[in-house]
Order: sequence, then C-alpha cells, then structure tokens
Amino acid sequence: MKVLTPQGEKIDLLTVNIGPSHPATHGALRAFVALDGETIAGTVTEIGYLHRGFEKMVEQGTWQQVLPYTDRLNYCSAILNNIGFCHTIERMFEVDIPERAKVLRVLLSELSRIIDHVVCVAAAAADLGALTNYFYLFNPREKVYGIWEKLSGARLTNTFTRIGGLYRDTYDGFESEVASVLVEVEKGLDDAFRLLQHNRIFIERTRGCCPISAEDAVSWGWTGPCLRATGVDRDLRKDEPYLDYETYDFQTVVGSTGDTFDRVMVRMYEIKESISICRQALTRLRPGPINTTDPRLILPGHGKAYHDMEALINHFKVVFEGVCVPAGEFYGSIEAANGELGFFVVSDGSGKPWKIKVRPPCFTQFAAYADLVEGSMVADAIACLSSINIIAGELDR
Amino acid sequence: MSQTATTDLGRELVPANAQSRKAFQDQAFQILSSRFEGILDPADRWGLTVILPGPKLHEAVRFLRDDSEFQMDLLLDVTAIDYLEYPGHEEARYAVVYNLRSQRNAARRLRLKVRVEEESPSVPSIHDLFKIANWQERETWDQYGIVFAGHPDLRRLLNHIEFQGHPLRKDYPARKRQWLSTNDPLVDPMVARLKANGFSVLEAPTANAPSVEETDLLGKVSREQRNNVEKQS
Repeated sequence: MKVLTPQGEKIDLLTVNIGPSHPATHGALRAFVALDGETIAGTVTEIGYLHRGFEKMVEQGTWQQVLPYTDRLNYCSAILNNIGFCHTIERMFEVDIPERAKVLRVLLSELSRIIDHVVCVAAAAADLGALTNYFYLFNPREKVYGIWEKLSGARLTNTFTRIGGLYRDTYDGFESEVASVLVEVEKGLDDAFRLLQHNRIFIERTRGCCPISAEDAVSWGWTGPCLRATGVDRDLRKDEPYLDYETYDFQTVVGSTGDTFDRVMVRMYEIKESISICRQALTRLRPGPINTTDPRLILPGHGKAYHDMEALINHFKVVFEGVCVPAGEFYGSIEAANGELGFFVVSDGSGKPWKIKVRPPCFTQFAAYADLVEGSMVADAIACLSSINIIAGELDR
Repeated sequence: MSQTATTDLGRELVPANAQSRKAFQDQAFQILSSRFEGILDPADRWGLTVILPGPKLHEAVRFLRDDSEFQMDLLLDVTAIDYLEYPGHEEARYAVVYNLRSQRNAARRLRLKVRVEEESPSVPSIHDLFKIANWQERETWDQYGIVFAGHPDLRRLLNHIEFQGHPLRKDYPARKRQWLSTNDPLVDPMVARLKANGFSVLEAPTANAPSVEETDLLGKVSREQRNNVEKQS
C-alpha cells in the first residue's frame, strides 16, 4: 500500500494480518495492520469469529436454560458468569439468598477471579517469551479445577449456581482443600512476582507499552482491572456492594500510568486481595440452607411433591414453564474478573426471556485495541493484547 | 504500584445506597423531563429509564456527560429491544436503550430509551460523545437493523459482511442458516484509518477474495451441499 507519511515521505506500507495466525490472538481475533518497518501505522480489528448467537438462543428456552449459556461467555471464570446472571434475576424477583449461599458465592467468585487473573498473567508472560511463569501459576490453577470437578462434575462449564441459590452443597473436605489451594496459589504468585517484578526484560517490554489515559479509558467504556491500571479507583464490589462484599476487608488495587506493566501488575496484586477474601469467607462458612424457600424459584422437595397436590402442580409449572420473572426491564451487574459484567434483561412475565443483552467487559477493551497499538511496534501489540485479557466468548457472544 | 488513586477521576467516589440512588433518580428525571421532554418508562420497576424523543437524544446525552452535575461519563451499553408481539405493547416496534453510569458516583445509573418506528428505523448517533459508542452502535445496527444517523462507518460488527437480515429481530428465525463464503478484505476501513492518522493513501490493493464459484472449483464445497443448506433455512 503506497502512502505519503504525515511528514510527506513516500513509503510502501506492508499490510499483514497479526491475528488469527499469531498464537496470542487465540485464533478468534483478527487484527489487520499496516506496517512501516516494524511500526504499526494503522490497525483495523474484526470480531465475530466465535459468534454463537447467545442473545438469540436464550430467547428460545426458559430462564433456567440460560445458565449453561452463561458458562460459555467467559470460560476462564464460568462460575462468575453464573453468579452475575443469577444475581440479576434474583434482584428482579427481589428475593434474598441464604447466608451460606452468599458466603459460598463470594468464595467461588474470588476463586474464579484468581484463576482468571492467573490465566491472564501467565499468558501475558508466555506471550513475551517467559514460559516458566506459566507453570508456576498453572499448577495451582489445576488444583482449583479439581475443586470445580468435585463440586459440579465439570471442569470448565460448571453451571454451579441456580436462580435463588446453588446447585448443591459442598463436599466433605471442601474447606481444607480450598485452604490448601490458597497456600499453593500464594506460593505460585510469589514465585511469579520474583520472576517478573525486577526482571529487566519484562519491565522494558511492558513499561510505557501501549498506555492509555484515565479519560480515554472511561470514554472507551473500560471497567475492571484495565481501568484501575490507569488510576481510577472503581470496583463494583466496593461501590455497589452485593453478596455482602462491604463486610469483607480488602483493598482495590490501582495503577498509575495505564500501560501494559500496570495492567499485569494490578491483576497480580488483585490475586493477593482475592486470596484474603477467600480466607475470610472460609471462616464465615456455617452450615445452613443454600437455596431460598421462595416457591416461585425453587422446586418443592420430593417428600412434598409426592404427597401434596399444590406442591406437585408447583413442581410441574417450574419445570415446564420455567420460573416466571416479573415483567419489566432491568440491568444488573457484578464485578467479574475483567470488569463490569452486566445483563440487560427484558421480561414479559412468562417463563421465557424476551431479551437478554450481555454487557461484556472485553468488548470495550478490544474496541480500544486499534487506538492503543497504533504507533507502537508489532511486538508491543502482542504484549498489549495479552494484558487486556480478551475472552473471545464474551467478546462475540 | 501505588495503592492510592492518582487521577481526579478517582477522588470523588461516593458509594451507592438506596437513599442516594433515589435522590439521584428524582433529580435526574426532573431535569430530563423539563429540559428534554423525557417521560418515565413504566416498564422499568427497579431503576430509572427515561424515554426521550429521538431528536433530543444527542443533546441530552451531552448534557448528562458535561454540563449537568451528574457527570455520566461511562456509556456501558447500547442495545435495542424488538417489541414485535410483546404482550400488550402498543408503542413503536423498536426501542434503542442507552445505559449510562457515572464513574464518580456509584449511585448514578440511568437508562435512556428512544422509541423507533418500524418504517425506516433511525436514531442520531452519539459516536462523537463516547468513543465506545462507535462499536456499540455498529453492533446494534448489525443485530437489529437500526440506523444510527451520522455514524461514520456503519458496518456489521459480529456478523459476516454477506449476512442478510438482522438476527435479533423477533421475525428472524433462530434456526435459519446462511451460506457465507468470501472474507472481508478490510481495505476500505484501513484506508480510512490511515487517513485519520495523517497518511495520504496513493495506491491501495483491490479486494482479492475468492468468489463462490472459485470455492466450488477448489472442491471445498459442492454446489449440492450449498443448496442443501439453503433448503434447510
């Protein structure tokens, strides 16, 4: 592509597709760049390769059948997506879930956040050529998947929560297993810190790489760790506490320059905070019910359904019609690992959703990608892409 | 790494509670109704949705962002609702919904809604107010076919360039399949991008994508297979 530069020099730009061929783009992101030597002169991004029609398909089934779809939004922290959806619907019903379910949800949220951040940090370092880190962090992550398997029977797509509570209670030895996993995560994180924090190569490749100002980040609609890396102290767990987050003692981590280094480091420090929240949740775990008793949401127990006609009818209706969410429109959100995960829900009062629109945090981050990388080198573009943690599942839905 | 906020944006944080939410909602609705002819949306039972006339939208959003004390500086989402056959619905078929939040005060959340008629559905674009609106409006155009007047580059975002129709409309069958074959060369957006960055493009490559017939010749897909897909849809 022959062009005149802003300085009036006539040069030939080379156009290349960085994604989907580059391993850092996961095969589902296309970044078409025009290169002047190694400097990116222009970028156009394209998404939609993974588009599986979440928003169309959820309109075909009942409200409960939406849950398995939400798993597949962010496969690194599926339970967080489950919690986000259930939390939104519970707020529409205006029901409260029992204490144990809340504590368990906080515990599972933070464990999910840990493994999501771990994937991002480990992959970011691996994309820069540092593979050791990957193993330090991925071994404890594997243990968390062990817990998921025992809890729900699935490793990645757990579907562990239900509207009004949880799928089932924990297994024997759950608490001690979580506690030991937290120790391992802490150790892996310390090792990773030692490898990265003062590593000249890592620092020089990430410091000042693709920075973004707080004002621009807000205009791009950024939320979560990427926004906090620019110095904006916003976290839904603090600002609009849900699941009693206001009673837990933790700090929001903020960066200062909003460059790749800050984005990775904010995540690493957030893992520390999440470990602390998990430990606090473990001390609060008391035996008790895990589901609300609201008959609009919950199937009556076998004992009741077999002997009580009303209970049998209730059972029948909840299974066949689905739960009937009160008619109206609502937007509910939680702080997912990547930022504000919101569900805009329209209900007509029947057992099927009229519309569910996901507000994915990745979408706004990847939209800014073209602006972020223009003017920097190809290698910086890769470092930047891993630090903004794109999950194609929720990007395309 | 510091533990304290360093920008102005971080300082005036106010956490949300029921009281501060209610106070904001009353205040915001009063201003929106007196200045921009906004009316309350009865469908919203849990928050605040204000229905605005289309021509007032751009001004209202700019006011909420800059001039008012609310500082609604975060556009969370733009989407549309298709009310085709919605029980008891008598207004226009579509509504475009803008979901706004203030970064400084967590109690400030608000949705704006513009009703859009079925014939020539169109609303003014707000891409000049929020950078992210560019993509969000493209997505809404792609999925619902609502035109954002004044948008600089209203292309499909999630669906393929050859895709016909708008899948999230209620009259688009969920199981319909379309056969799409050529890739998007992205040369035109790249030329626009380079121009915006100060380059002047002298010579751009022409789109060089294989046609459907060529794909057939390569033996990847037989005509019969393709017809089968079309029959199913």
